[in-house]
Amino acid sequence: MTMPMTASVIEASEEFAPATVAELERFLGENARKVKKPVYPVGGRTALHYGYPLCDPGTVVSTARLSRVVDYPARDMTVTVEAGIRMEQLNELLDRERQRLPIDIPQLHRATLGGVLATNSNGPRRYGYGTLRDYVIGVSAIDGRGNLFHAGGRVVKNVAGYDLCKLMIGSLGTLAVITQVTLKLRPVPETSSWLWCSYPTWQQLDEALERLTTTATRPVAMIALNARAARQIVNEIHLDVPVESPTLALAIEGTQKETEWQSSVLKDELSFTGASAMYDIPGHHGESVWTALTDYPVVTDEPLTFRANMLPSRAAGFMERADATGISLLSHIGNGIVIGHFPDDWISWEQSLAILNSLSHQAQENRGNFVILQCPDEWKRDLLLWGQPESGYQLMKKMKAAFDPEGVLNPHRLFVKA
Amino acid sequence: MLVERLRTIVGNDGLLFDPSELLVYECDGYVIEKKVPDVVVFPTSTEQVVAIVKLCNEMDVPFIPRGAGTSLAGGCLPIGGGVMIALTRMKRILEVNLRDRYAVVEPGLVNVHLTQHLKGTGFHYAPDPSSQGACTIGGNVATNSGGPHTLKYGVTVNHVIGAEVVLPDGTIVQLGGQVEDVPGFDLTGLFVGSEGTFGVCTKVTVRLSRDPSAYRTMLGVFNTVGEATNAISAIIGAGIVPAALEMMDQGIVEAVEAAFHFGFPLDAGAVLLIEVDGLEVAVDEEASRIKELCSENGAREVRLANTQKERLLLWKCRKQAFGAIGRLSPSYCTQDGVVPRTKLPEIMDFINEVSARHQIRIVNVFHAGDGNIHPILLFDERNTEQVGRVLAASDEILEKCIELGGSVTGEHGIGVEKISFMEKLFTKETLEVMERVRTVFNPSGRCSPQKMLPTAGACGMEHIERSHPGKKASS
Repeated sequence: MTMPMTASVIEASEEFAPATVAELERFLGENARKVKKPVYPVGGRTALHYGYPLCDPGTVVSTARLSRVVDYPARDMTVTVEAGIRMEQLNELLDRERQRLPIDIPQLHRATLGGVLATNSNGPRRYGYGTLRDYVIGVSAIDGRGNLFHAGGRVVKNVAGYDLCKLMIGSLGTLAVITQVTLKLRPVPETSSWLWCSYPTWQQLDEALERLTTTATRPVAMIALNARAARQIVNEIHLDVPVESPTLALAIEGTQKETEWQSSVLKDELSFTGASAMYDIPGHHGESVWTALTDYPVVTDEPLTFRANMLPSRAAGFMERADATGISLLSHIGNGIVIGHFPDDWISWEQSLAILNSLSHQAQENRGNFVILQCPDEWKRDLLLWGQPESGYQLMKKMKAAFDPEGVLNPHRLFVKA
Repeated sequence: MLVERLRTIVGNDGLLFDPSELLVYECDGYVIEKKVPDVVVFPTSTEQVVAIVKLCNEMDVPFIPRGAGTSLAGGCLPIGGGVMIALTRMKRILEVNLRDRYAVVEPGLVNVHLTQHLKGTGFHYAPDPSSQGACTIGGNVATNSGGPHTLKYGVTVNHVIGAEVVLPDGTIVQLGGQVEDVPGFDLTGLFVGSEGTFGVCTKVTVRLSRDPSAYRTMLGVFNTVGEATNAISAIIGAGIVPAALEMMDQGIVEAVEAAFHFGFPLDAGAVLLIEVDGLEVAVDEEASRIKELCSENGAREVRLANTQKERLLLWKCRKQAFGAIGRLSPSYCTQDGVVPRTKLPEIMDFINEVSARHQIRIVNVFHAGDGNIHPILLFDERNTEQVGRVLAASDEILEKCIELGGSVTGEHGIGVEKISFMEKLFTKETLEVMERVRTVFNPSGRCSPQKMLPTAGACGMEHIERSHPGKKASS
């Protein structure tokens, strides 16, 4: 199979890192009017492998120099920054005021806020706090024709005009280059803690989840792991907990009093659900659990990573079937999201395809879909990387054309070239 | 001909076309501009909505969806006449799934009916606009409604994960769904707040939230509005996010007390209604910190609602405050502006100044924690000279909100009322992008023409000059 690979296309492209938004506007405007070459917006380059392979060299537009803090009125609990700011730097800034964006971001030291928006990054806390769509209140971006536009504003409540912020989140740089973002913030809670529970069977784990539907506590994260994934995480952070069977990990946050109370109530509530072991992981060790679980989807040498979505109540059943094939699995099980890495010891195309088809089918039967986050470029043309087309597929294509009529922004990354 | 063909779709009792019956549908809570539709239809199924929309396309007439008509910015004003699609008969709860935390409902379902249906399950639907006893979920989706509890729990868009929509060309599309992370663009998030300009919503999937296990509801009493706004700023600045943080000034307190006899102090400059919720083990601590912060900022008293009955009465006073305003003045007009919450003292001073300069009495009841103000301008609509001053004062307040870094609407929407502000809030390029986005959904402009964007649509618009401000309002 011969096909240009994403990495080589990027390498063959020119690089442009504008120092000002005006410079970028000019560049994109001229590009759309004259050469109409592909534009590949990049931030921390942590997600270049997403989607269909790039075809033609063009210009890699880096937001590295657009990284100013525009306004941080901490007492309003909002912050406005340029899109190229590193997440690590943003988090340090917010932490000084004991505030945060309560979304877990993989590869913090590399990822930029613009890239985080474009890929809709998130992690374990999505169960308790939601995702970026709940925190982005303003966006500035430049469309494929070089038009700078603004949506939302800097106030926490605002219904003037269409909410284009929502459209930017998860759009993978196919609609516009994000230049500036305003976020709504939350206070940092006093403490957090994990409760790590092992279950002999998936069915018992599922029963525990059923029990938690009406728990008196309010977990902020609900994670399920199969033994393979649990082993990987535990080895990484040197935890002394059992990893030989399905694991349910629950996180709680709040004041010292709140976490202590919740931890003891959770153990009570789960005491008749058949857990073979239950461990509290507070403080420093707890912190490393957050990081390991957040980075799980991206820190991998495995050949293929997928993300399936489905009704949360079906996720344990899905995991049980997938577990039998030897895949490593982590689930945001309260949200119905399952992320899996294929092992590299059975990498034949036919074998992988059969398993992918069966898992994808199962996700769809449970009202969900099946997305492939990364795999070898040469497999990509034969796969539905973004799952079965959703009902809004035609609208999405028209939306792409409305923002980028020349088709220069990350062409064919989301919608495969016919 | 139109009426006859509609009759074959919805039957005899599914439509109104008699001029006297149509009068009810000439406006929403924004009563300055009025226009009756040619016909109102009441579909009972998605299929009927599709047939109606296709017929409108065939006969080239505009159409507009409508819920309960409680909106406040003219969002369901049928400009150009045509067919009004009233969704109030599509009000079933189709599915409730507690384990997966969602419900699928029809758009005509009244907001509070969902909450009542869920009572006892430990779950609720969080957005609670003050008009929740009348407004519909579909209408909430159209305007992205808020309510007092949005401070902690967010607005409608934060609780809507899917929508079935009949597009303006009559095709049915499912945006989002019952699951999270649906691949592709977040068209659900974009659809919420589109004020009926993207099509007719026929089913909504909403996220259900767990009930808080404990509440503490407090009333902070202050001598001046300035002290109260400083206390708000101190509470938010201290990293506390109460479930609700509402302010009422002296004028409103007076009217509310006369109506509900709660026992509000009539000499207070302002009162704050503050609610914290969460785990029983945590709420007392949070409540006592808030009490301290109020006292530090000059509160002369902080009262705790001791019983559930007292709490509900406090909320009744707040949510029905607008109903009590009739005691103060024959007519009133409510504005809906937003400022960064630390700018509340500035905007309140400005409102005072505007009130004095234009000789218009203004009272205030609003979502203080969000910086979402609702100045209520009192007047007598028989006095045309005074009416002119009310309009001028309103515009000045909204322009000040923009100047302070805010917005001209936090939850009521643009509709027709605030179209002229769009060019002040957004650049020409931004409005062009919004126009293109609308064209993706609504290329003919036949669905809800002349709304939201200043350059709107193609249908002939008989624009009525504003001559008097709105009377009704709620929030």
